[in-house]
Amino acid sequence: ITMALLNANPVVYQTSISNIRVETEKDFDDDVLDPIDSEEVYELLRSISDPEHPLTLEQLNVTQLQHISVDNDNNHVLVEFTPTIPHCSMATLIGLCIRVRLLRSLPERFKVDIKVRKGTHQSENAVNKQLNDKERVAAALENKHLLEVVNQCLATASRDAVAQ
Amino acid sequence: MPRLELVTALEGHQDRVWQAIWHPTKTILATCSGDKTVRLWAPASHSDMSNWQCINTLEGGHKRTIRSVAWSPTGHEMATASFDATTGIWEHDQRDNDWECVATLEGHENEIKSVAWSSSGQLLATCSRDKSVWIWEVETDNDFECLSVLQEHSQDVKMVAWHPHQEILASASYDDTIKIWREDDDDWYCSDTLQGHTSTVWALDFDASGDHIVSASDDQTLRIWKMYKPNNAQGIPTPSNDPTYRTVCTLSGYHGRCIYSVSWSKVNNRIASASGDNTIRVFTQVTEGDEPAWEAAATIKDAHGVHDINNVTWFPTQQHGDWLATAGDDGVARIWRLVEDD
Repeated sequence: ITMALLNANPVVYQTSISNIRVETEKDFDDDVLDPIDSEEVYELLRSISDPEHPLTLEQLNVTQLQHISVDNDNNHVLVEFTPTIPHCSMATLIGLCIRVRLLRSLPERFKVDIKVRKGTHQSENAVNKQLNDKERVAAALENKHLLEVVNQCLATASRDAVAQ
Repeated sequence: MPRLELVTALEGHQDRVWQAIWHPTKTILATCSGDKTVRLWAPASHSDMSNWQCINTLEGGHKRTIRSVAWSPTGHEMATASFDATTGIWEHDQRDNDWECVATLEGHENEIKSVAWSSSGQLLATCSRDKSVWIWEVETDNDFECLSVLQEHSQDVKMVAWHPHQEILASASYDDTIKIWREDDDDWYCSDTLQGHTSTVWALDFDASGDHIVSASDDQTLRIWKMYKPNNAQGIPTPSNDPTYRTVCTLSGYHGRCIYSVSWSKVNNRIASASGDNTIRVFTQVTEGDEPAWEAAATIKDAHGVHDINNVTWFPTQQHGDWLATAGDDGVARIWRLVEDD
């Protein structure tokens, strides 16, 4: 199916090396308690592909480190993302990709909330409600076609994770 | 203060358990799951109520998640609601003690979220992401006729529940409201819309009299609604001469995430709730009237470990009126007993 691109010319952002987590000896020391932090969550998300561009969510500035918060003590993760355009119909799909990525990668103890960054999407509330309704997410992931699209977007992220 | 004690954990499902529903009279629990099966559980012997086993697995009836299961009032039949957009009707065959899918009800456009059997056993209700509520008449020979398709919710309908002894239906929706449906001369219509929750209403249950409803929402509150009849002493207006429901109590601050399920015991009048915050809570009524007070009576944190709890249900009869069943994202169903301390 050929589809007209919704945002044919997205702004591409330079990815900064400082985003990449530097591993220290402590990371390999089993005696050091290693809580999950926002950098780690960002690391899981940055290389997810955008559903309509051959670019990553990091390159499109959809995910940003400072918009991820992790509360280790209360087992809570909040990811806010920024759609490239305010009427982006891909916003729910991007959110779903983020959710699935975290579902597959984070320890089970974490409750994850995924939201569109305030004021960056015209259907902000509708998108947020859908992304955080577990029944809707469960049903969406039983949709073979949708799951394929999600897996495609996550393929780059998985490769990235394996390479590390 | 009473406390909850674990009776047993039922392990066997291969995916999250969405519901755990008691047989109307027997010590049999039906659970349904993302693994597309329903399992039936019962104690291995009458003398030992702590040792339960899976006595039946109903499979092959659905292509996707079974979201909801309902017993007919006699317990001879079950209905299953699936994300595959169909409702299955299952019948118990006494001869080989097996359950067989005897009918499949089609019509909903997509995922069915809930199915409920009326107290008379004559009516079945289903609801779906397609925003509609369907009412089916149960005819002889496993024939089901659709009586009505109700389309007044503006979003997904999450759950349907029948009044405990009248043919009155309540539905809870993603549109943040509850609707009450009544019949007038074969025509079903919405007689009341209950507004107050500020996010998806996931579940509701009637009390034993049917004069009250409790609802559970993503807004992390429980609401108790009281029915006011036309010409009520309180002077509450009743448009079109039907009873109307008003919130008389809001329980907030007890759950830290979405409340997925609520059950109002027909035996001991207690309310139990289950949440995405991994906690089960039991509430006791302190005062009655137009501003009833309820207080938390028992709490189990991490009842299913780190996992969401999707469902909680009180045992329906006196026999084990202090039993609760819960279903979790850990793929396990658990049975709890409310123990009164001396």
